[in-house]
Amino acid sequence: MSEEKIIKEKDPWFSPRNFKLLKNPLNLENPVTVQVLGICSALAVTVQMKPAIVMALSVTVVTAFSNLIIALIRDTIPSRIRIIVQLVVVAALVIIVDQLLKAYVYDVSKKLSVFVGLIITNCILMGRLEAFAMANKPWPSFIDGIGNGLGYGAILVIIAFFRELLGSGKIYGFDVIPKAFYEAGYVNNGLMILPPMALMTIGVIIWIQRSKNPVLQEDN
Amino acid sequence: MEHSNKYIFIYSVVMVVVIAISLTIVAVQLKPAQEDNIRIEKMQNILSSVNVTTKGIPKMQVMEMYKKYVIRAFAVNNKGEVVESNTDKVFPIEMAAELKKPAEQQLLPVFVAVLDNKDTAFIVPLRGKGLWGPVWGYLSLKTDYNTIVGCMYDHKGETPGLGAEINTEIFQKPFFGKKIFDDQKNLTSINIIKGGAKPDDIHGVDAISGGTITSKGVERMLRDNLTGYEAYFKKQIK
Amino acid sequence: MENLFNLFVRSIFIDNMIFAYFLGMCSYLAVSKTVKTSMGLGVAVTFVLLITAPVNWLVDTYMLKAGALAWLSPELADLDLSYLSFMIFIAVIAAMVQLVEMAVEKFSPSLYNALGIFLPLIAVNCAILGVALFVQEREYETIGEVTTYAVGSGLGWFLAIVSLAAIREKIRYSHIPKALRGLGIAFILTGLMAIAFMSFMGIKI
Repeated sequence: MSEEKIIKEKDPWFSPRNFKLLKNPLNLENPVTVQVLGICSALAVTVQMKPAIVMALSVTVVTAFSNLIIALIRDTIPSRIRIIVQLVVVAALVIIVDQLLKAYVYDVSKKLSVFVGLIITNCILMGRLEAFAMANKPWPSFIDGIGNGLGYGAILVIIAFFRELLGSGKIYGFDVIPKAFYEAGYVNNGLMILPPMALMTIGVIIWIQRSKNPVLQEDN
Repeated sequence: MEHSNKYIFIYSVVMVVVIAISLTIVAVQLKPAQEDNIRIEKMQNILSSVNVTTKGIPKMQVMEMYKKYVIRAFAVNNKGEVVESNTDKVFPIEMAAELKKPAEQQLLPVFVAVLDNKDTAFIVPLRGKGLWGPVWGYLSLKTDYNTIVGCMYDHKGETPGLGAEINTEIFQKPFFGKKIFDDQKNLTSINIIKGGAKPDDIHGVDAISGGTITSKGVERMLRDNLTGYEAYFKKQIK
Repeated sequence: MENLFNLFVRSIFIDNMIFAYFLGMCSYLAVSKTVKTSMGLGVAVTFVLLITAPVNWLVDTYMLKAGALAWLSPELADLDLSYLSFMIFIAVIAAMVQLVEMAVEKFSPSLYNALGIFLPLIAVNCAILGVALFVQEREYETIGEVTTYAVGSGLGWFLAIVSLAAIREKIRYSHIPKALRGLGIAFILTGLMAIAFMSFMGIKI
């Protein structure tokens, strides 16, 4: 995280470097499993796919636009009130997202309840604003925001997929386990719906990811 | 970089003003859509208490369905007098706000629905407290103001898997057909019994195991809310 | 009174901030490497919750809620500022944390040395904002309930981070698959602890 490369020279919009900003957070620089940011607000919404996807999109929108806005005004922000300015921009964006959800996808917004508000304290946001947007041009910052939002969302959706499939036998609300299975004695694993299994699932995801990328392994 | 105090001050004022204005614009713009959602949810809840399911039905049609089933509404007070008979004025009454008023000033809504089998049902709103926060619901009664036709309960944040089960059919179904008055016309309400109600108990249903406090909350909600209507119901039964 | 005690016990054990809602996970995972530092952070979180939750509740009840401004003048009764609540809550939290930091620095340098480095971290700890939002959502009615809930949640968080740190101190000597070391095992441990905490679910006082 500390050795962020600062992009100075002019790049075309979809240069390889910008593309890397989009792609890296999906795996090697994943905000959740590698940078350990932003686990807080969202594991609780991974019981089903639908709220997880809405949450992932909301976070992506907020990271992208807060990165963009902060990068645009980065030279005018007085350093002493830097954190407050960032918080205010993030909070304003989250309020807008929350109002939009309440107006257009009311039932999902009810399920997400307080967790939309908790996007404000999602460490990904402040982390990316401090580490990237304060030092980079708007366009790369915007892409970085999208990349990190999606990297975070990918983990959410993977967890939600397994929890919904194994816990309720559904994917995105549709039954996928054939009736015959249940008749043969198959039961949904109720434990998957409960909070502990979200933590276990993410532990297993980290395990798999790190076995494939030994660079990421820790010492103790 | 270093900035003067004056710059910082002006900067924060400008920021606050810009953000306040943009947020207010968004909030005002989206208000009607949000209020529609809340109204439609209320309609869905009322319909579900008379066992009309609105699952998967688009918003606009919910409004039409509501108009089809719920023919009118009026509000009574705790002395049993009808104090408001304008349906449009009754619909926005919120029990959460009414229950905070003194008992004699409360407006207690009654919704009248005609079901598919031409039966009439009277629906009353409920509001109470569970373990973690508010619980609410609707209860529908037959024209004898005694037998329960259907009910729905919902909650804000009861424990998933335990108290949260009050919004499931498993908890709600046993209420159907139970009676809220005994033979002497005393209000018994419905007792929610831990460990299971006896099969012949016409005033009792099973509690949720592990969700005792929420179950008790629902029981207290039923008793408290129905007490307000008691005078009106008794006048009607005679 | 009985009710408050019930709320207190439940907010520590059953509706635990970490195990049931995953709030404050970032600092929970980052700081739980030794028992000593995690205790410092746990105390700081509890302390900040004790102060910010009642303040946020007061602000919400008397300024933001629909009709909350009616005490100022009856004309304001229709005003609903609740859409601003996220912004106000986070501002109150940031300001309170700053105030607490200054006060602690002035009056108790030793406490400041112990807590000081954690305080700025806390402003963006999800558990703090989470409690403020839960209090708003669950419509707690008295300041007593709010304070009890806040302290209970803080203690629950404290308990969680200290026990994880204790386990992590010992686990250094165990043989764990390479890829699972560090973060991976921390998640699985938390999951196992959460399952253990679920056994409290049935308790009734």
